[in-house]
This record gives sequence, C-alpha cells and structure tokens, in this order.
Amino acid sequence: MASTTFRVFRYQPDSGESESYHQDFRLDHEEKTTILDALLRIQNEQDGTLAVRYSCRSAICGSCACKVNGKTVLACMTQVEEAKAESGADTLQVDPIGNFAPIKDLVVDMTPFWEKFKAVKPFLIPDGPAPDKERLVPKAAMEKVAKESACILCAACYSECNSLAADPEFVGPAAFAWGYRFAADERDAQRKDRAKLYSGDHGIWDCTRCMFCNERCPKGVDPRDAIEKLGAIAFQEKVTKDKGARHAKAFLISMRQGGKLNEQLVGGYTDPVGGVFNAPLALRMLQKGKLPKSPLTHKVKDRDQVTKLIKNVKETI
Amino acid sequence: MRTHDVVVVGAGLAGMRAAIAAHEAGVDVALVTKLHPVRSHSGAAQGGINAALGNETEDSTENHTFDTVKGADYIGDQDAIEILCQRAPLEVYQLEHWGAVFSRQEDSGKIAQRPFGGAGFPRTCYAADLTGLVILHTLYTVCVKYNIPTYEEWFVTDLVTDDSGNAVGVVAYDMIHGSIETIGAKAVVMATGGAGRVYRPSTNAHASTGDAMSLALRKGVPLKDMEFMQFHPTTLAANGVLVTEGARGEGGYLLNKDGDRFMSKYAPNKLELASRDVVSRAEATEIMEGRGVDGCVLLDLRHLGRDRIMERLPQIRELAIAFAGTDPIEEPIPIRPGAHYHMGGVHVDNWGAAPHMPGLFAAGECSCVSVHGANRLGGNSLLEAVVFGARAGEASAAYAQDVGEPDVPSNAAAETQDRIEELLLRENGPRQGEIRDELAAVMQEKVGVFRSDGPLREAKATVTELKEKFQGVVVDDKGRTFNTDLIHTIETGYLLDLADTMVTGAIARHESRGAHSRTDFTERDDENWMKHTLAYLDDGEIRLDYSPVTMTKYEPQVRSY
Repeated sequence: MASTTFRVFRYQPDSGESESYHQDFRLDHEEKTTILDALLRIQNEQDGTLAVRYSCRSAICGSCACKVNGKTVLACMTQVEEAKAESGADTLQVDPIGNFAPIKDLVVDMTPFWEKFKAVKPFLIPDGPAPDKERLVPKAAMEKVAKESACILCAACYSECNSLAADPEFVGPAAFAWGYRFAADERDAQRKDRAKLYSGDHGIWDCTRCMFCNERCPKGVDPRDAIEKLGAIAFQEKVTKDKGARHAKAFLISMRQGGKLNEQLVGGYTDPVGGVFNAPLALRMLQKGKLPKSPLTHKVKDRDQVTKLIKNVKETI
Repeated sequence: MRTHDVVVVGAGLAGMRAAIAAHEAGVDVALVTKLHPVRSHSGAAQGGINAALGNETEDSTENHTFDTVKGADYIGDQDAIEILCQRAPLEVYQLEHWGAVFSRQEDSGKIAQRPFGGAGFPRTCYAADLTGLVILHTLYTVCVKYNIPTYEEWFVTDLVTDDSGNAVGVVAYDMIHGSIETIGAKAVVMATGGAGRVYRPSTNAHASTGDAMSLALRKGVPLKDMEFMQFHPTTLAANGVLVTEGARGEGGYLLNKDGDRFMSKYAPNKLELASRDVVSRAEATEIMEGRGVDGCVLLDLRHLGRDRIMERLPQIRELAIAFAGTDPIEEPIPIRPGAHYHMGGVHVDNWGAAPHMPGLFAAGECSCVSVHGANRLGGNSLLEAVVFGARAGEASAAYAQDVGEPDVPSNAAAETQDRIEELLLRENGPRQGEIRDELAAVMQEKVGVFRSDGPLREAKATVTELKEKFQGVVVDDKGRTFNTDLIHTIETGYLLDLADTMVTGAIARHESRGAHSRTDFTERDDENWMKHTLAYLDDGEIRLDYSPVTMTKYEPQVRSY
C-alpha cells in the first residue's frame, strides 16, 4: 500500500464561489494505481462534487488529459507512484490542461479546440468519383500518415503549446497533425489548397518550434513534425508568399550561399516592405554586433557538408 | 422546444453511421451524446472489421455467413447474418472512400486482411491495432463535413413517447449548461453501445452503461438475449484492458504455467483462433485446475519479433507496458478472460426497427438484431455497427418522411426535472459507487464464464436487494454544472435493470450455448432452446418470453474448432 496527497485544482461555479483554489485529498491506495483511478476514488469516497472528464481508461478516448505537477499527461495512463518518483515529493498537484477556460474543476471548455479542428477541413476531399472497390494505395504511402492517424485529440499538445499561449488564435498542433494527415494522403486532391489554408495568420509558420507538443503527446504523434512536413508541402506546392514561408526560404538561401545564417538577407527577404520599418532595429542590432558588418555572405569552411545536409532533408520529406 | 426529424442517441460507430445515412436520405438528423463523439468506446476496438473482400485468399460472403452462423452457436437470425455479410464489402469500401487509413498489402495497394478467431479465411481488415479509432474518426470527419448538428455532452434521461406509445423524442441533461430539455423527433435511433460496466473487470469504458437498453425497457420495449455476455479471452489482469484478438491473429500463442500451448486440447484445429467463448472457457479451465500463473495464463508474442509487433500491434505494446509493466517483445503478457461484448440488446428487426414501439430504432451493441447470437466473432462488431447503423439511419429517415408531425408531450422535461430535484434533495443513504461495486462483484463471481443454478439465484437475490437499496440512493453533488455524480447515479439505475435481465435470462436458459455455459446443463439443446429470450419489465419485475430464430439454409451442426 501507498499513500499520496493529491492537491487538486477546484473551481465550483455552482457554489457561488467565483475563485478557483487547490484542495488536498489524502488517499491510501495500492502501489499500482493510476492518477485517474485515484481521482475516481476521491470522487467516490471523499467528494462527489469533483468533476473530471474520462471514459475508456485505456489511453484511447482522449478525455482525461490533465496536468500532474505541471506536466500534461493522460490521467489514465500515468501511475501515481511513478509521478511521485519523478518529482521526489509525496504530494501530486493535479490541474486542468492549460490554454483553456475552466468549466468545473478539471473540466475545461474545449469549444475552441473543436472549432480549430474543424477549421482545417478534417475530411478527405478526393478528385472524381470513387471506384467500385477500394482506392489502391501503396503500403508505404499509407504509412506516411499512420503516425498522425493515431492522434486521439486529447489536447495535451494544446495544453503545452507556447504559440497558443502567446496567440489564442493559433490553430495549434493537433489540428495541424490532422491537416497533414489529409494533405499527405495521396487520395486527397486538395494538397495545394490545404497548404494555403494552413499558412497565413495563426498558421503553421507561427509555431515557435518549442517542441513541447512532441515531448508531451501521449501517443507519439509528434505534431511539430507534422507542422514541419506541412511547411515542406507548402514549399512543394509553391505556397510561399506567407511571411513565415519567406523567412524559411531566406534561411535556406542563406544556408546555401554561405553555410550560415545571414540576418540581413533573412530580414530583408522575409518582409521587404515591412523590413524598412525595422531599419532602426537593424541599426541598433548592428551597433551591438548582432548583425554582420558586411551584407556580403560570409562563407563557412565546410560548406559542402551543409549542402549535403540540405539534400538529405529534402529527400526525406 | 428543439426538434429534428431524426434524433440519434449515441455517437459511436453505429450512431454516426446512422446519422450519416439519415442525412444522405435528406432528413434533418441530430446526434445526442453524453461524450464528445470521438470519445466513444468504438474507438477502443483494436483488431479489425470483417468483410469477404478476398484480398488475401479466395473468400466469399457465403463463407463469412457460415462462420458467423456457426460462431453464434446457431441462435443468430440467418437472414440478418446474410444481410450483414453481403453488405460488409460495400461498407468497408465506403469507409475507405471516406478516408479510413486501412493497412495495405505490400504490392497491390489493396486493403490488407488478417486471420481472426472463428473465421475460415483471413477476412479482417485493419488499421494496425487502431481499427476502431480510425473508423470512428473517419465517421466523425464525415459528420463534420455534413455539418450534422451534435448535442455534445448531453446525457439522455428519458425516451419520450406520445399517447399512442410512439417514440417522439428524448429528454436530456445538458451537462455543460445545466439545463434539462426535450428534443422532439419523428424517429429516435438508439446507439449507446454496450453495458460491460455491469461487470468488473471489463474491457468496456466507464461510459458503457447500456443506457439505451434501460431507457427502452422502462418504456415497455423488450430486450433480447440478455444472458449472452461475451468474455474476451485476452484482457490485462490489472484493469481488464483489452488485448486484441489480432495478437493471436498475427500468430501469438497462449501458454499455461508449464509453457504448454493448451489450446491444442480444447480446439485441436483452430487452436488460439477458435471462437472467443471456446478460448475463454479453455483459459478459465486451465486457471481453475491450477495451471495458471497468478490467476492468468500467458499470451506470448515474442516469436513474432520486434518489427512485426511494432508495425501491427503498437498499441498493445504500449498498453502492456503501461498497465502490466510487460514489454511483449521481451516477455509474455499475463491475461485472463474479461467481460467484453454484449450480444443481447434492444429487440429490433433487420432494419433496426423495434416492433414493439413505432418510431424507435436501435443499432450497434445496444441492439439485438440478432447477428451475433450466443457468441460474436471478432471483427463482426465494428461491421455490425456500420451495416446496421446505416440501415437504421435509412429506415428511420424513411419512417420520418412518412409519419406526420410528432405530438411531443409538453411536460416531458418538467417531469424529469422534478424527478431529478427529488433525487438531489435526498440526504443520508447509500451512494452509487458502493451499489455499483457490489453489483459488478456479484455479476463477475456468479454470472461469469461458467454458470449454474445456485450461484445464479444468489446473484438474482443480490440484484433485487441492490435495486431496493438504490431507491434510497443519495447524490453528493447538488449542483447543475457537469454533475457526474448525478449521471453515475442514473447510470447505476440502468445497470441494475440490465443485470436483472441478464441474470433472469441466464437462470431460465437450461442449456449451454455460446457464451452462456452452464455446468448443470452442459449440452446445447436445440429442441427446447433454439429460441431468443425476450425480457420485459412489468411493475419492476422481469418477465420472460421467447421468439423463434430465423433459419435460411444452415442446419445446426455440432460446433467444434
């Protein structure tokens, strides 16, 4: 047997209490107990008002994402003793997922999440009538979208997303994983339109590449990788007018030319019009030594290695 | 009042497929679900969906039909099974056209098919071991495309009928906003899934509480073949989580503590791929006779090798590591039989229509057409959900187009409201959790893989006691917003109704057939018992009646694997 204190986020709008708070529940439990089982026992034995979303308890329905000691997990898949061992403390703090408004205790308003999901046109749009039997898809081509197809829409990635914290309108990791799942499906005929739809404001180029979505996804979907692959698709489809795409392109040109980053080129290319307004910033950067003194590209020694790298990346995407 | 032509309760495979079919037929259809659609338990189905596509070997719908009739232990309706198997390829192709990411054959690019239990040919189409998830998602994307209105996190408390007893809508509790409302309709399709939570352990989600069955039963609709609960042979000891039959389909062995592949004693031809009732009984026998390992037997996948496990069974590996602390690449997984799928359900015809209530339809696990009879074959549940979901959607739309405006009682929601107020006011009494625990324990112990008169009658007595105790049940949470305590309490009432029908049907059926295995009546008795059980609720008591099984061309044979 083991014993744990659960410091649970409480928000009880029906009680007239408009503020949230944390409440401690002490629970004796078997060594092998999941966070979800513990929460349900608290609900059953100590406080029936505790609200939490859950269903399958086998890591597939995606209902029970929450934060345990600040880290987003699926409650049903996380062992209490392992979480304690990780933090080294006897108390586990349980909070709702981040970046969403609370409804009651651990239950949050998922409306924005579903709206963003719907905004990526998450359905197959093929060309022409369907054949009598199945469409033939080579095994390798189907496997290209296998990882993203395993997304359970638990929103753990939204909970951890730094771009979303800065811009609530950012479409977000799971929705883009789904976007990639369709854009890269060879049965879909909307590759270019999807590239356009996913670029632009709050789109793929607004991702800060913090990698937390990859890190915390409980199903190994790697949404950041999907966003990156969508970037590649945008390039292949020549959807490169977006500032973010131009930034990436400038980066690439700069790499090709000199094997290292040339900030002047990147700044100018990314936003040739708006760049003028950034002149004072550029001057200050120049003074602080953050920009190369000469606009001419300085070349690194082993540039052929960089070229090889670029070629490798191109071939894998 | 909110109204639609057709209201579908439940948004798993059967519910969404029904809604899509009704939408395509041109009526105004809405989904009502106590979860978000993608949270539905269909998503937990792993191994696959059967259709005689013949992609791997020659196969035919006749083969599929015969295997299903035999698997059902000759109590499935053969006309319904023919419909199921004939429409199977069309539905699988339809799912593929909608974008389902089925695993493919290496060279041809056709849908790959794997062997499954009780099937003569590799007939099970799959998406790794995430088939249910992929199909659930596919149907959800179609619902998004069609913009089908969906009442998410609305818990249905009542089936509403008019003065003549026709189904004309439902009353539901909007969990987020806290209101109780009537949704009127010309036709109601029930698709709320199984009632596995009557048992513990169970492979089923916490939400699988058989809501629709109880809602229908309370309105006078009979439930069919409720005594037939399937125990899946491979569930994790820690929490009953499912390990797909696909693990054996891919070549996994079942071993006892001596390392013997014991299935050679019980099913010398099909071994691990005998039908589920046969394998579960074999495992239970090995464990009872002392050849188990800590109440389990072992599922050994090691010889499949890392690559095959990672490609075909990635989720199984993940779950075994998370819940059993076992990596199947390195060591065998301890498993045991666990409650999994309910063959019984709302008595409906081949179109999913309830003969006892005009306007009521049901599809999927909560219904009983019957295609699974006394034992469902693996890979046939996803299939049944889409085939009969589609048919119920088509039939309900046709009915709605034909019938006049419904006469929805204006006081329906108010009555529910009063009942819930009364429940919430009650102080001092048992809470639902303890009642549920006791119910699940007695069902597991006395209405399990093997049954006999004495324990069944004891179980009946306990269920009766618990039903009485439930009359004084107390809800801790008195609030209106997301009151899960209230929902669990109402669900517990549903579970008690259903347990009663299961036990009562089991006591009466004096034979062993499929998943209903009696140690005091060990043989199948076609002369007296080749018939469906119908359970009615009369003044709180279960009354049984029987109806004939439809046969077309398959005479009952001795069933061996």
